Amino acid sequence: MRDDLTTRPGRHISPIRVVRRPVAAVVLACGLLAAGGSVAALAVASQHSVPGSHAAMPAGRPKVVPVPLGSQAPAPQPSARRAARPIRLIIPSIGVSTRLVRLGLTSAGTLQVPASAAVAGWYTGSSRPGAIGAAVIGGHIDSRLGPGVFYRLRLLHRGSRVYVRRAGGTLAVFRVTAMHAYLKSRFPTEAVYGPTPDAQLRLITCGGTFDYATGHYLGNVIAYAVLVHRGSR
Amino acid sequence: MTRSESAGRLARLVAVLGLAVGLLGLAIPAASASMTSGWLRLAHLSPNTPAVDVYLYSFGNPSARIVLRHVSYGTVSPYERVPTGEYTVAMRMPGAAATSKPVLSTTVSVASGDAYTVAGMGPAAGLRLQVFRDRLQTPRGKAMVRVIQASMHQTAVTVSAGKKVLGRNLRFTTVTHYQALRPGDLTVRAVGESEHGSGRFMLAANAIYTLVVLDDSGQLKVVCLMDSAGSKVMPAGSAQMGFGGTAPRPGVSPLPWLGAAAAGLLAAAGGALRLRRRRRPALHAR
Repeated sequence: MRDDLTTRPGRHISPIRVVRRPVAAVVLACGLLAAGGSVAALAVASQHSVPGSHAAMPAGRPKVVPVPLGSQAPAPQPSARRAARPIRLIIPSIGVSTRLVRLGLTSAGTLQVPASAAVAGWYTGSSRPGAIGAAVIGGHIDSRLGPGVFYRLRLLHRGSRVYVRRAGGTLAVFRVTAMHAYLKSRFPTEAVYGPTPDAQLRLITCGGTFDYATGHYLGNVIAYAVLVHRGSR
Repeated sequence: MTRSESAGRLARLVAVLGLAVGLLGLAIPAASASMTSGWLRLAHLSPNTPAVDVYLYSFGNPSARIVLRHVSYGTVSPYERVPTGEYTVAMRMPGAAATSKPVLSTTVSVASGDAYTVAGMGPAAGLRLQVFRDRLQTPRGKAMVRVIQASMHQTAVTVSAGKKVLGRNLRFTTVTHYQALRPGDLTVRAVGESEHGSGRFMLAANAIYTLVVLDDSGQLKVVCLMDSAGSKVMPAGSAQMGFGGTAPRPGVSPLPWLGAAAAGLLAAAGGALRLRRRRRPALHAR
């Protein structure tokens, strides 16, 4: 037999080839492992990154806040007497009962915000709640650690009742007429701070997406409310 | 661009898109906050007309929406917020049955976001209900003021605020346009042929007022009514009312993991190819 097994080209196994085969097998195995591992890691990571969608509320119910009692403020007279100072904000439907701090303006001319996320503040440049004009109350949606006083503000809806206790004990009772969300770049200054002929209320907090680059939310959520008084509908 | 940079960019894009979509459903022009309603108030400005009962009906509804009893000269009601549409204002003698024929009535059409004063004007003999549209905007930082001349004793009254004349020789039932004034303490003088009167008022910035000149036993009386009020100073821009403690963590970008997975698959494919290439020649040889 001339055809020696050893002379067949295919049968000739060089030392390099002997090494290459297992290497290729190892590369194949490692590649598959890496691919599978990455996909698994991605699945795990994406599960952890969305701890409940933004619309969902985290654990914890709103605390139970009873509807406050007290003599109800009448419609404001056009021969304006000053209304009493606001001291407390109560919104039973979303478990809010907070004292009201006073908010002025920053040196940049923007609205001051409460130093604590646990309390709301009344803008002293706006009307007093129950007087002609829109009283403006702001509160944080959250602190760095968790929910703030207006965390559930976005859950208010048309018809929700909002109570402001005033110095002297009287209550200005408001009814929510509209809820709106705005990009901060489109903040409706005139609708929030502009003149109104009746007693109204604006509740302001943040909302929308939080921009980790700037440390601010991109939107504002605003509740518009009007005074409810005897005889009003 | 490094991978983490591009990942950050993608995350931000996704965030902005998400917000835009989220807000689209809610963002409605500011004016719509009061879009489907307006305001009405009722006034009695006829000096020799006795007190009346004033009824407000929404068109086609026979039961009154508001009834003001014993409204006497010089009285102006608070604004009533009402849905847009047609309304009828009727005056009856005090205590007259609601079903009785009114002494006087008029209709008023309330447009969205507008405010109106419906006033009984003129002498009792020629009493009429007049509808004024009330202003709801001011130039930034100003107070707006108009005058209603409701004195019958004086045929022509000149009303001035400080040195500024708001209305010269105003006749009974005249209403001036609104004029912009600097906010602050204001002394208003009303001077007729034989009578005069004055009042001192505090005008706020971004607020709107109506001064009413009334007859008051042998002199004129000036009353200042607040039509509307806004914040004295309008804060600039939006409000930063949150620190992000309840915001979703920024999503872990899938890019690095997808990259790793792709690289792994590529390596596996390479390995597999090698293995096959080595085998094929051997098969041929057999």
